[in-house]
Amino acid sequence: MDKKLGVYICGGCSIGESIDVDRLAELARKDAKAAVCRTHACLCGEEGVAQIQADLASGAVNAVAIAACSPRAKMERFNFGARQLVERINLREQVAWSHKPNDEDTQMLAEDCLRMGVARLEKMEPPEPLAESISRTILVVGGGVAGINAALEGAEAGYDVLLVEKEARLGGFLGELKKTFPTHAPYTQAENNGLAEKVRAVSAHPRVRVFWSTQVVKTEGQPGMFDVTLQNHHGSETHRVGSIVMATGWKPYDRSKLTLPGCDLPDVVTNVELERMAAAGPVTRPSDGKVVNSALFVQCAGSRDPAHLGYCSSVCCMSTLKEAEILRDQNPDIEIFVIYRDMVTPGQYETYYQSVQDHALNFFMKGMVTGLERDANGKVVAHVDGSLMGSPMRVPVDLVVLATGMAANSADNDGIRALRDARRTLERNESETQRTEAEKVIRQLEDREGTEILHLGYRQGPDLPILQSGFPNSHFICFPYETQRTGIYAAGAVRAPMDSQLAAEDACGAMMKAIQSVEMAAQGQAVHPRAGDLSYPNFALQRCTQCKRCTVECPFGAIDEDEKGTPRFNPYRCRRCGICMGACPERIISFKNYSVDMIAGMVKAIEVPDEFADKPRILIFACENDAYPALDQAGMNRASYDASVRVIPLRCLGSMNIVWIADALSRGIDGVLLLGCKFGEDYQCHFIRGSELANRRLENVKDTLERLQLESGRIELVQLGIDEGDRIPHLIDDFVARVRELGPNPYKGF
Amino acid sequence: MADALTIQPDLEFIREVTENSGGDLKKCMQCATCSAVCSLSTESRPFPRQQVLKAQWGMSEQLTGDPAIWLCHDCGDCTARCPRGARPSAVMDALRMAAIRRLAFPRFMGSMIGRRENGAIMFLFSALLLLSVAKLPAFHTAARPLIFADMFPVSRLEMFFYIVSAFVVLVLAISAARFIKELRSAGARGAILPSLLPALIEIFLHRRFAGCEAGKVRRWGHLGVLFGFIGLATASTVLGVEMHLGWMVTPMPLLYPLKMIANLCAVVFAVGVSILIWNRLADREKRVGSSFCDWYFLSLLGGIGLTGILSETLRLAQSPDWMYSIYYIHLSLVLTLFLSTPYSKFVHFLYRTIAMAATWQESKSTGRVQLAAGGPDAALPEGPGLPHAIGMRS
Repeated sequence: MDKKLGVYICGGCSIGESIDVDRLAELARKDAKAAVCRTHACLCGEEGVAQIQADLASGAVNAVAIAACSPRAKMERFNFGARQLVERINLREQVAWSHKPNDEDTQMLAEDCLRMGVARLEKMEPPEPLAESISRTILVVGGGVAGINAALEGAEAGYDVLLVEKEARLGGFLGELKKTFPTHAPYTQAENNGLAEKVRAVSAHPRVRVFWSTQVVKTEGQPGMFDVTLQNHHGSETHRVGSIVMATGWKPYDRSKLTLPGCDLPDVVTNVELERMAAAGPVTRPSDGKVVNSALFVQCAGSRDPAHLGYCSSVCCMSTLKEAEILRDQNPDIEIFVIYRDMVTPGQYETYYQSVQDHALNFFMKGMVTGLERDANGKVVAHVDGSLMGSPMRVPVDLVVLATGMAANSADNDGIRALRDARRTLERNESETQRTEAEKVIRQLEDREGTEILHLGYRQGPDLPILQSGFPNSHFICFPYETQRTGIYAAGAVRAPMDSQLAAEDACGAMMKAIQSVEMAAQGQAVHPRAGDLSYPNFALQRCTQCKRCTVECPFGAIDEDEKGTPRFNPYRCRRCGICMGACPERIISFKNYSVDMIAGMVKAIEVPDEFADKPRILIFACENDAYPALDQAGMNRASYDASVRVIPLRCLGSMNIVWIADALSRGIDGVLLLGCKFGEDYQCHFIRGSELANRRLENVKDTLERLQLESGRIELVQLGIDEGDRIPHLIDDFVARVRELGPNPYKGF
Repeated sequence: MADALTIQPDLEFIREVTENSGGDLKKCMQCATCSAVCSLSTESRPFPRQQVLKAQWGMSEQLTGDPAIWLCHDCGDCTARCPRGARPSAVMDALRMAAIRRLAFPRFMGSMIGRRENGAIMFLFSALLLLSVAKLPAFHTAARPLIFADMFPVSRLEMFFYIVSAFVVLVLAISAARFIKELRSAGARGAILPSLLPALIEIFLHRRFAGCEAGKVRRWGHLGVLFGFIGLATASTVLGVEMHLGWMVTPMPLLYPLKMIANLCAVVFAVGVSILIWNRLADREKRVGSSFCDWYFLSLLGGIGLTGILSETLRLAQSPDWMYSIYYIHLSLVLTLFLSTPYSKFVHFLYRTIAMAATWQESKSTGRVQLAAGGPDAALPEGPGLPHAIGMRS
């Protein structure tokens, strides 16, 4: 595309008082060869915007560089259509507001910003949106409370829904229960299970097709065009769906894994077993069938214990209260003891706790059950310690109930993949050591066999990757239903421990995301966090060396492989983060508006003063999700920092290609600072592990540096949260000071 | 490690404590606000939180010998801050009543605590008993100036009260022995006798009362009652013994030193009782949490003070119509107080002193100041010697 560049420089918001705008305009005209260059005292006003529109309409300009505020501000004002090339040059937050006004260094910074922006614009091409035919049918896997509600929500919103349940009836766990937690004022009594009505509604809904006793045996393709094979005793059939809601629920924590002494006695049952006994008829002692006159509940049986479930299962306290009420309905004189670590009864549930606690024969105590044993009278004696009583207690009762927690009904994708890889290693009959290693892996992971739920035909494994405690969701704060597989959303107890009311709400949320996913796909747009992005990576496969780095590193499994290992890209699975682009050693992956070449051009556009000028140049690669807004925040707070830095925003730090660092250092840039999201267990990366991957790549860079005889201290990666703008001045000034101490880059001027 | 306690909730005990504490026992959720705000609670004895929990679980045996229920001064700071409205101080009060009942000798007398009708019976019984020493038909025709001995001859009355006192002392001694036994089995093993003196000094100074926020004025009320009562009791005893021995004849002139001291003590006592009654009525939480036991004991004290002062006034006025009957009521109330000492709130003077002495060393070692004495509420001090009839004659 032949570019006619228009540069528009704003002098408002104190930009004009701190930068010589006319000199900047001159630079744009002369050096950047802008076809049109205009300055305006308030570019975002009616007049300024109208001028840009007029230039575009007249054809005088077809690529627009707006040197004004941050690209995060006035997005709508400077939106000239999704396919119009626009580059925003941040003169306000990151120059005028954060540096000394009318200073030589500030002016140099502004000029470099302009050069970098223009360089970027020159390499930018308008994206060509994906336009394949998209299915708007949504698959819901699991017919429990979450699945039923998701199906109903989707159908009511006008989408066809396939609801798959592996049992012969809908309802899941909730369907088995006699009573549920209170949902209405005054919240003092358990309610009768009202799920049957919803089951009827979903079964009769014209837009919902229910598959009973059915399992998913294969899921292939990508969002908008998943081909899902369903199998039941009638046989199997394949359906095309646009997105998937995974609502496979939970399973009770395996009591055989509990280590509490005596928890395998006959008169010790779990809360789920008790619920089933109560639903079937009056609860009696399993050992002799006698009436239960006293019962003791052991709370947190497995939950909040790093050796078992590391989290609070969130429903066990409420279940215990409800089960106490059920037991009392049967036998008003029953004595009920509850030994808890903390009673967790959020919101209105507290009222229910109070009302159950109020009964004279319900006894609650904070403490620890250390063991159970059978005494001479056939009672189970619970030993309790760590209570306020100051001495250990023995509580003899007829029945002990273990309040076991919730484990997600998910498949361990990575475990299954490792198991399959190990099997393949054995088949291929590789070396002795590899075979021994593979056998070890098989022994460890054997139980993962056959646990697949979705049977995804993805190179990265057959199910959703799990990040923590068996839950397959990917980002706890910002995208609650998101999984690491685009177009597949988790809802209900498979996502996080929750009760039926929350699961019903969750189902609604996940269904909305599933609908959004098919609608975005239909327009060729990315889903969150780059919602609306029309670009996607292009692979110059003739130069591919089949190193598989892109297929391994893509956090969303978007890239499959053919037999030779050549990547097969599925654009609708892509989140457009560019991690593949950063990973590719051959630099064959690029977006129309984001490429290795483009960023290299920006690096090249930075003017590097010679070593005698005492003007170091520091390059910052900033993640545009968190670090870049944090830099803006520093500017908004008028926090000043060293003006020798040049900031290049990246879609994700994971898209950082190490060639840029080599380019920068060979051009005489004195230091490179990488600002990315926090990684590790509580990662904040919007693309799961971009900053982590960047950090790993940095290790290789450091080797390169040593070969070039440059100090490794010239490069640093700092993890920065979006709310940590206050750290910016110190962080940058300290880094600049450290680089200054190392002296100028010896490659300057080469 | 201590031996394991076997839990068998005492359901009757739970019912009793729930009833006497205003039905709020079960509301406690063990947040520990109460023991945190209490200026007297210690790490090793985290009352009232621990006691409320034990009460919820019906652990009557552990509670009867628990010194902590007596270490509490019933200031109400905990009740004022309780987020669930569980009234921990009312629960502590109910626990003290339950302990008094369980320690009472003879045991059946324990059941009179907290029963309205029994309070009235006790008073009628005392009034009838007093008639046995009255000079019934003659006193209206007595020569002027009219004196109370016209109705109750000194020798008879003194002998009568010697016998009653001896009985009460015996009963208290048995109760004290029981209490010490319970204390020991509940794990309070501190030596009592060596710590008695520091405990008593603390009691007389009422220093720890000052730490309670919700009832600062109560400290002065309680001090007034304590010293007024001790003064009156001592004066009456000295006077009674002297008269009995024939060393002294009543009525004494108003300016006689002993008389002046006694009258001063009566005023201090009456002011103290008034403060305590006002304190209980003015604070809503306290009013709601007050049981019959509280009012029974306070009314007895108030009645004794009022009828004592009235009797003296009426005698000075030489009113034959009123002075004898009021004096009779006064003596009946005093006898009621005597006879119900081991079975009413009054006995806190004994149990609290023992409990304080038994925990004196541990409180020193945990570094937190030991408490002063004070009533579960309005009550009287653990005074030395026997409380003798107040204002028996004047």
